[in-house]
Amino acid sequence: MKARQSPSLRSVFVILPSIAILALASAPAYAQWVKMPNSTPRGPDGKPNLSAPAPRLPDGKPDLSGIWEAGSNKYVLNIAADLKPGEVPFQPWAKALVDQRADGSQSGQDPFANCLPQGVPRVNASPPPWKIIQKSDVIIVLYESANTWRQIFLDGRELGNDYPPTFLGYSTGKWDGDTLVVDTRGFNGKTWLDQTGKPTSEALHVTERFRRTDFGHMEIQITIDDPKVYTKPWSVKQQARLVPNTDVIENACENNLDLQHLGRKFVK
Amino acid sequence: MKRRIASCVAVLGLVCAPAQAQWEKVPRANIPRMPDGKPNLTAPAPRLPNGKPDLAGVWEPDNKYVRDLAADLKPGDIPFQPWAKALFDERKDGSRSREDNAAHCLPPGVPRINAAPFPWKIVQTPAFIVIVYETFNLWRQIFLDGRELAEDATPTWFGYSTGKWDGDTLVVDTKGFNGKAWIDQLGKPSTEALHVIERFRRRDFGHMEIQITIDDPKAYTKPWTVMEQANLLPDAELMEFICNENNRDLEHLPSK
Repeated sequence: MKARQSPSLRSVFVILPSIAILALASAPAYAQWVKMPNSTPRGPDGKPNLSAPAPRLPDGKPDLSGIWEAGSNKYVLNIAADLKPGEVPFQPWAKALVDQRADGSQSGQDPFANCLPQGVPRVNASPPPWKIIQKSDVIIVLYESANTWRQIFLDGRELGNDYPPTFLGYSTGKWDGDTLVVDTRGFNGKTWLDQTGKPTSEALHVTERFRRTDFGHMEIQITIDDPKVYTKPWSVKQQARLVPNTDVIENACENNLDLQHLGRKFVK
Repeated sequence: MKRRIASCVAVLGLVCAPAQAQWEKVPRANIPRMPDGKPNLTAPAPRLPNGKPDLAGVWEPDNKYVRDLAADLKPGDIPFQPWAKALFDERKDGSRSREDNAAHCLPPGVPRINAAPFPWKIVQTPAFIVIVYETFNLWRQIFLDGRELAEDATPTWFGYSTGKWDGDTLVVDTKGFNGKAWIDQLGKPSTEALHVIERFRRRDFGHMEIQITIDDPKAYTKPWTVMEQANLLPDAELMEFICNENNRDLEHLPSK
């Protein structure tokens, strides 16, 4: 297996007001595994053919399984990077708060800077890769970032009314043709949607539409519906790319030396 | 869906979630049942199409081993190296429990995380097994595809796990540890030389035996072995458990 960049090296390429937020664990680049079989389709030159058709499960549904990484690191900084200024429909209080956070002076209050989960959908945009394991009734996503995980239930269950609010919410998915539509609710309202600090509330409802366009590429359309924070739902589109010949590695939020350099302390 | 009563008894009961129903309209699990509809936990263990036992499910350990991995051994049965015995004797009365990295929300390591009082879920594919742990919302992979650990792998809390089938028993080798984890709350040490062998055997639908061998020649003069049990939770699902949120135990734990 080829060595790949460690989490910290990859995050160096994220230019941020608080450059180090994501470099919470710093492991040097090593090759962890040898004699690793690989099933990626290959072209005549032996290189992975990432534009081959997306694989399918025996039930005919697209198989989203694989190791993925964000196609761009810009969305973890600003989920609305592709929108024009003013296109995020903030409630007035939310606009005032995000304006206070915009210069990074409060980045020490970002839950993720305190080794708490980034939440959904931000964790998908984080530079470390993530692994999808798809079963007919559930999808598990293993995130390298802080070694957290998430389940997306495909078995028809619904979220009840008396759940404990969570950072990552409760996710259920349904197929719309070849697109997996994932609804996530039950959030605790503590997470920032991005590093610039767009707020969330317990009313947050995230819809992610995952479409594996070919073997090596996935589109994720994200809709943020949080009427306490935003006057209407708003949508963005992100890309993820398959990372062949690798796997997710341990990346515990350990030895968190960044926090002392970030502005304003988080109050739990 | 019924939620089991969360156990909040141990030092690591950092979050005590009340019993609640998160999910509704959960399809009735396709599991063997008694005539009265209750799960038949002594039915045969399920198998995958390839004939291998399917270990998948939500499992809950017997949590006495998180405090003392050697709970079933006699005093003196653990072959400590002299330095490790001295260190363990300093820790075992709990007076240094604040020094346990797990009390600081760092990963409890392998095999201790299996014995943590919180359940874990196995998802099995032919090429690898994933275990997602409620404890600290962490995960671990066990590769079944023949890969081997490189010699220059970065040391980790959970190590690197590979598994092979020995009949109906999954034999998991884990190496590449960072030597920082206490293998139980009493404080038995580990080093970077730790090699853990876990033998998982699902003896029927509802019960799994895990035989654990600790081979760490820097801390122990010879390998030593214990047996743990895990029980299937047929109508439960894992919850989110974020240790770093409001970790109120730490201030109450002593150190020297």
